[in-house]
Amino acid sequence: MNKLKSFQHPYTRGAVNSVKKNNIEGWLFVSPLVIWICLIILVPIYIAFELSLFNVKIIGTSGKFVGIDNYIKLLGKSKFLNASLNSLYWIIGNAICQTFFAFTIALTINYKFPGKKIMANWIILSFIIPTVVVVVIWKLMLSSSSGVINSVLIDIGLLDEATGFFSSPNKAFISLVIINSWRWSPFLALIILSGLNSINREMYDASKVDGANFIQQFFFITFPNLKSVLFVLGLVGTLLSFNIFDIIWLITKGGPSSATTTLPLLIYETAFTKFRISQAATLSIITSFLLLLFSIIFIKSMAPKEDD
Amino acid sequence: MIKENNIKFIFLSLSLSLIILIFFFPFFWIITSSFKSPEEIIATSTTIIPRSFTLEHYNKILFNSDFFIYLKNSLIVSFSSMIISIILSVSAAYGLHKLKFYGNKFVEYSLLVTYAFPGVILLVPIYLLFAKVNLLNSYFALIIVNVLFATPFAVWMLKAFFKLIPNEIEEAAYIDGASRYIVISRIIIPLAAPGIASVSIFCFIISWTEYLFASILISGDNLKTLPVGLAGIVGQYQIDWGFLLSGAVLASLPVILLFVFIGKYFVSGLTEGAVK
Repeated sequence: MNKLKSFQHPYTRGAVNSVKKNNIEGWLFVSPLVIWICLIILVPIYIAFELSLFNVKIIGTSGKFVGIDNYIKLLGKSKFLNASLNSLYWIIGNAICQTFFAFTIALTINYKFPGKKIMANWIILSFIIPTVVVVVIWKLMLSSSSGVINSVLIDIGLLDEATGFFSSPNKAFISLVIINSWRWSPFLALIILSGLNSINREMYDASKVDGANFIQQFFFITFPNLKSVLFVLGLVGTLLSFNIFDIIWLITKGGPSSATTTLPLLIYETAFTKFRISQAATLSIITSFLLLLFSIIFIKSMAPKEDD
Repeated sequence: MIKENNIKFIFLSLSLSLIILIFFFPFFWIITSSFKSPEEIIATSTTIIPRSFTLEHYNKILFNSDFFIYLKNSLIVSFSSMIISIILSVSAAYGLHKLKFYGNKFVEYSLLVTYAFPGVILLVPIYLLFAKVNLLNSYFALIIVNVLFATPFAVWMLKAFFKLIPNEIEEAAYIDGASRYIVISRIIIPLAAPGIASVSIFCFIISWTEYLFASILISGDNLKTLPVGLAGIVGQYQIDWGFLLSGAVLASLPVILLFVFIGKYFVSGLTEGAVK
């Protein structure tokens, strides 16, 4: 094989080199974006780190230097623990719910049926509309006084009387997980679909000849071949779920009794309703450290072997 | 064989009805509700098929609110963010996937992590930073942030399209004496056009739906974007549902219209191997 490669036409050999290894030019093309991103991420993180070492309460004033005092105080606070746990439950709940929805959508659209094209194009509707609209839709649908879901559930006989979906801690949390999954699953489904499309059709035919049914096909062909897609989804999906702010904030404001206050909401609340800037900065630094740690471990342990 | 087909049919029709009920019905619901009379919207006995029809909510939002100001702001911010994002991400994707260089994989994975970088972590420091350099209450503040959120995934999406372009075409052009600039503008960009279209729509959507930063970085009423304007109505104690619903429908309309024309590129761009 290697010998064959060196038998290239003298003209193209030079050309191949100009397309492949090209350190300076490669960086030149990448650098505008890399600089933009670094500036907008690293400078703020530096500012946040600086703030976390001081005791700044009001925006614009400089507090006094307190070292790692903020960190020690924060790690012992029950609010921080509560928000971290909520974030963890939030990620797990969304992962389960979105995996279910996304795989259902992807596997369904992967079949042939009339209207498949239209559905594949428009299933993403819930992802392209503003989050605020998602909030409006579900606030109305789940409303306790005039919501269609309450009235349908009562009509079927599943409920005796209208229930407030955001009134108790557990119900509010679960409702929010479902609403967020509703927004994200179609997008994830299309990415899963891209993985499904890249699977060689012949493998299914061959397995059929060997007598495999479609459940066996799913576990022995579909699933293993989705590894690189699932890697991306596992990494990006987890971080994106963690990141969710507006859906929760606009529906429950973190309540009832802090049951839906995840770390992003705690940071926002600390900074913009309680105006404890240094505390919010400390929270941000701890959070980014945790997420970075997660990403590194995830990439190191799960990254698929490169084939190109 | 027949039995397996039956199971498939049952699975298919079950999941299809589930998908239609969960993912499409809500849209039918708010669109029809936005034409209902205020009494019917808040009635305890909900009506699947509307009994009343009125345009009063649309009348109110179009001619008696700041809707057009918000719309203008959203359009300016989203289009500018989109154009800057496209330029940056096409260039970066070309460098990453056509010119292999040292540190290639590191940049690729870092970009992926940045895509999901929690914006809320940056919220406080960016607010302070922008306050210092006098960027608060400006379109540019939002554009800077939106580009940050849109480009990492845009680069990831473009990867597939750039990989589809055979290196031989480029090589042939170089042999004919074409410069890098000619190759990019005459070969790469035209051949990756569907990809660039789908990436554009993605960048537009990201900016169009952004709420968190827009709500903090902008305080002047005349610079607010649509999501922030709408959220203002959601937060009110007594929600005027008709007003809110018609606003929600109108705020979704521009992205939906855009999607009607280039949506199929977006979907095929995602499904035809964004992650290959």
